[in-house]
Amino acid sequence: MPPETAEPGAGNMPVPVWLMVLFFVLLYGGMVFFDRYGGWFDAEVYMPYASLADVQACQPHGGGPSAERGRAVYENICGLCHNSDGKGRPGQAPPFVGSEWVTGSPNLMIRIPLSGLSGPVRVDGTEWNLSMPAMGAALPDDDLAGVLTYIRQSWGNKASAVTPEQVKAVRAELGARSQPWTAEQLKALP
Amino acid sequence: MNYGPLLFLAAFFALAGSWFGFVLTPQAQIGQLQPTNMLGAPTLYPQARPGLARQGLGVYRANGCADCHTQQLRQRGTLCDVVLSDTGTNIPAVITALLKVKPGLSGPAARQWLSVLPRPVLQGLTPAEADAAVRVLNGAGAKATVSIVPVGPDLARGWGKRRTVARDFLFDYPVALGSQRIGPDLANVGARQPDAGWHLRHLYAPRLEVKVSAMPPHRFLFEKRKIERSPSPDAMVLPRDLAPPPGYEIVPKPEAGALVAYLLSLRADAPLFEAPLTVIPAPGAAGATNAPAASGATSTNAAPTKAPAK
Amino acid sequence: MNPTASSEPAAAAGLGADEVGASEMDVSCRLPLLVLLTSAAAWLVIASGFALISSLKFHSPDFLAGPAWLTYGRVHPAASSAFLYGFCLQSGLGVSLWLLARLGRTGLAEGWLVTVGAMFWNVGVTVGVLGVLAGERTGFEALELPGYATPMVFVGYLLIGVGGALTFHQRREPRLYVSQWFLFAALFWFPWIYSTAQLLLVTFPVRGVMQSVVAWWYADNLRFVWLWLAGLGAVFYLVPKLTRRELQNRNLALFAFWLILLFGSWGGIPNSAPVPAWMPALSAVGTVLTTVALLAVGLSVWKTAPPGSPAGPVTKWPFGVRRQSDLSAVASAKAEAATALSAARGVQEAKRCPSQSGVAPARRSAPARRRAPLATALQSGARENLPLRFVRFGVLAFLVAGFMRVLGSSLPVSNVTDLTWFGPATDQLNAYGFFAMVVFGAAYGILPQLMGLEFPWPRLARAHFWLASLGVVLLAAPLAIAGVLEGLELRSPDNAFMDVVKATLPCLRLSTMGDLLMALGHVAFLANLAGLAARFYLARAASVFSSLTLDLYKQTGAKP
Repeated sequence: MPPETAEPGAGNMPVPVWLMVLFFVLLYGGMVFFDRYGGWFDAEVYMPYASLADVQACQPHGGGPSAERGRAVYENICGLCHNSDGKGRPGQAPPFVGSEWVTGSPNLMIRIPLSGLSGPVRVDGTEWNLSMPAMGAALPDDDLAGVLTYIRQSWGNKASAVTPEQVKAVRAELGARSQPWTAEQLKALP
Repeated sequence: MNYGPLLFLAAFFALAGSWFGFVLTPQAQIGQLQPTNMLGAPTLYPQARPGLARQGLGVYRANGCADCHTQQLRQRGTLCDVVLSDTGTNIPAVITALLKVKPGLSGPAARQWLSVLPRPVLQGLTPAEADAAVRVLNGAGAKATVSIVPVGPDLARGWGKRRTVARDFLFDYPVALGSQRIGPDLANVGARQPDAGWHLRHLYAPRLEVKVSAMPPHRFLFEKRKIERSPSPDAMVLPRDLAPPPGYEIVPKPEAGALVAYLLSLRADAPLFEAPLTVIPAPGAAGATNAPAASGATSTNAAPTKAPAK
Repeated sequence: MNPTASSEPAAAAGLGADEVGASEMDVSCRLPLLVLLTSAAAWLVIASGFALISSLKFHSPDFLAGPAWLTYGRVHPAASSAFLYGFCLQSGLGVSLWLLARLGRTGLAEGWLVTVGAMFWNVGVTVGVLGVLAGERTGFEALELPGYATPMVFVGYLLIGVGGALTFHQRREPRLYVSQWFLFAALFWFPWIYSTAQLLLVTFPVRGVMQSVVAWWYADNLRFVWLWLAGLGAVFYLVPKLTRRELQNRNLALFAFWLILLFGSWGGIPNSAPVPAWMPALSAVGTVLTTVALLAVGLSVWKTAPPGSPAGPVTKWPFGVRRQSDLSAVASAKAEAATALSAARGVQEAKRCPSQSGVAPARRSAPARRRAPLATALQSGARENLPLRFVRFGVLAFLVAGFMRVLGSSLPVSNVTDLTWFGPATDQLNAYGFFAMVVFGAAYGILPQLMGLEFPWPRLARAHFWLASLGVVLLAAPLAIAGVLEGLELRSPDNAFMDVVKATLPCLRLSTMGDLLMALGHVAFLANLAGLAARFYLARAASVFSSLTLDLYKQTGAKP
């Protein structure tokens, strides 16, 4: 290399505008792409599923409640307040773990999601006074039976399963009841 | 101004972003993955590979099998089938329901369908459509289920039933995913080709089993030795042009046996939450297919038989 | 350090006092750079040999199939490890160190440290490659060297890196040129990714598919980001320097720098991977964003030196060296002086009149007199400029390989090209077409300056260019085409897999030919380098001998 030439200098003009525009266009496109294909950082969403809801919709089901379907429904509906580990959230929802309302007769358990529960209630020694809407009223019998079974048989709870027939029977009995239950009313039931 | 330290810091943070996003975060997310329940069965998946198969993974690594074979299956989508398994007591109502969900069907054809059950009545639906159809059929008293079927070119080729996921490689070291397919994918080869003899012959002389194979022969995994009092039961049965001279036999070395054990343990078809699929139990035999529900031990195989088939 | 005065008394007489700064700088780089580049060239030939063997196995699977150490699964990683660690990293470090010294207007700090580091490095890579052939490869694609070879390689790197860091630290030129950004980033990114990969894959292995994630991250960052940083650092210096024009422009180059650091380092996780969806998605986004960096680099090189443009004017060097004609005389004088005494007696006239080219004393000075074509090429202009040709080809290959990488990671294309020959084609085009060519251009440009001698066989150098460029095209293009065709065929399950693979054989044949041509080119490169080193040390030995005998004559009073 001829040593008599100076070391190269560099011009100082700005980066062309079209290059910057291209960069931002690609960045936007990248964000749109990640939104559709990225599964939003969920560890259980693999391509080609777009989201966790997509994965849950594709779980084998039908022909009766299954544990997986029950779990899927739980995560989507009940777990939002009662937490994925069934321990509840203070000020939001009482726990299912070790709860006598869960492991007792299915009669009580089926009625609560169908019509809701409000007023003071004692769960595992702690007083709760919140208001639960009728989260299960829109669920089909299979799904409600499945999620109740899941709650009754998870996290150390050991109780009998709830069948769709039982749910159907209670639903027919309740008719169009829209009033949430109170703890006393439930305890008065056989 | 001395830009040196400033440049260093800025470049440090730029590159640290890559390390943070692609090493630290994945480690936090899947670095402590545990075995999980298979769908619809109490068995844990995956089971650790038996010792011989784990040694076989070492042979697989040492001889670079992953340079030509992958163990990754891709999935393009998921479709739902509606499977009718029982007609219940009200046949006319079921036929009406069947005609409602499948408009192109004729009455006599529907009746004939109901005589051979279980039968997939609808195929290739989205989950929502399948649910609606199941509701209609169940409402008539029949018993219909939704069957989940993963689809994709790799799966259509018979290489597997679903895509491979992180849990399939939980206990392997090193994870031999491969990056190029010069030979077929091996993620499910234990299910596709359970014959140990085939694998041994294929390793010794690939073109014995696959005429157009470009795979190099791995004769160094075998040894030629003098026949003692009687031939060894493990001796390879080879055609005349490859057979050893009289008085000698070709016997697989322990490495070959381990490698074949590893290959036979390769299965990635258990239904999981992140890769759902409906396992259809074959009529009668519990272990004939990959159905894991019957016995969890079929997920990974025990030591293979080394006796040649013929 | 002023070895010019001690070992070449006649040459020193021809140099002015103001040239000491420049030659001191070059002299401090001489041995370390020679060691690094020559051993890199040797590893390149070894790697090409292994690559040729593994390539031939596709056409004749029984070729060398007997011994275990020659099976494809061992020869292939031996070739790639020898190439990456033996050639790419060593030559990249050598060129980086020289550039850091040059741009900082300082000598190479602790050159002996760098030389020792290079020796450690070579020992480590040798042990590693032998381990791979013995079956101890780690199983992770770019990190095949077994664990026991790593400490030596790492120590070697630390020593070389410390030399580089010290050189950067003691620079006399406070302003930073663009290349220094790239090279400094490269210097400290490698130990980071290498130590992470070693710790998480070999020493305390992570669990399950996390190993593959770390392995892909490391491989991509080494084969693309590091090679890009080191190669572009050299390109941004060589293109303006060899064409004697100003770099257009600093902001474009720095824009590319930040984009490569921020987004280029995200790549690597293929869309087929058995990992949660966000990892390949994020990887793809990062890779696609590097398109802008590619365009910035292409634009910068295009604007700096449009093809066919004349070279800029010869300007005075900051160190105030004499003009061209003096320097060629000095060069010829050095050659003459070094051989004069050993060739014949009575050549004192030649020693004392370096600028006269009248007397033709010994046969050895004829090459210097004739001014070998390479020297003419270097000093004349852009057209005949061999190093510039290498660098231009390299930049072109960089752009093509970069776009192939972008395409290969975008979802619609990767559904077809994933797990086919397309990926290796991209890697090889980037490594051989871009990085190796830039290194060759740098070597052909730097070494004559450093040693003060021309390459012994300039025609071989030109042949090298044609062999290398044709070889790279023949290697990468058929593989890329084969990959795309393979992917398109495999979409339909009706095409039997073995038939599709068989259909790629004609393309593989072409790429084997490319392998062969490149191997020949690399042998030519090594020959030229070894010849230059031999010539230099022989000349030096001769001049040492001659000065000793001259003293002896003086003492005994005999007439020479």
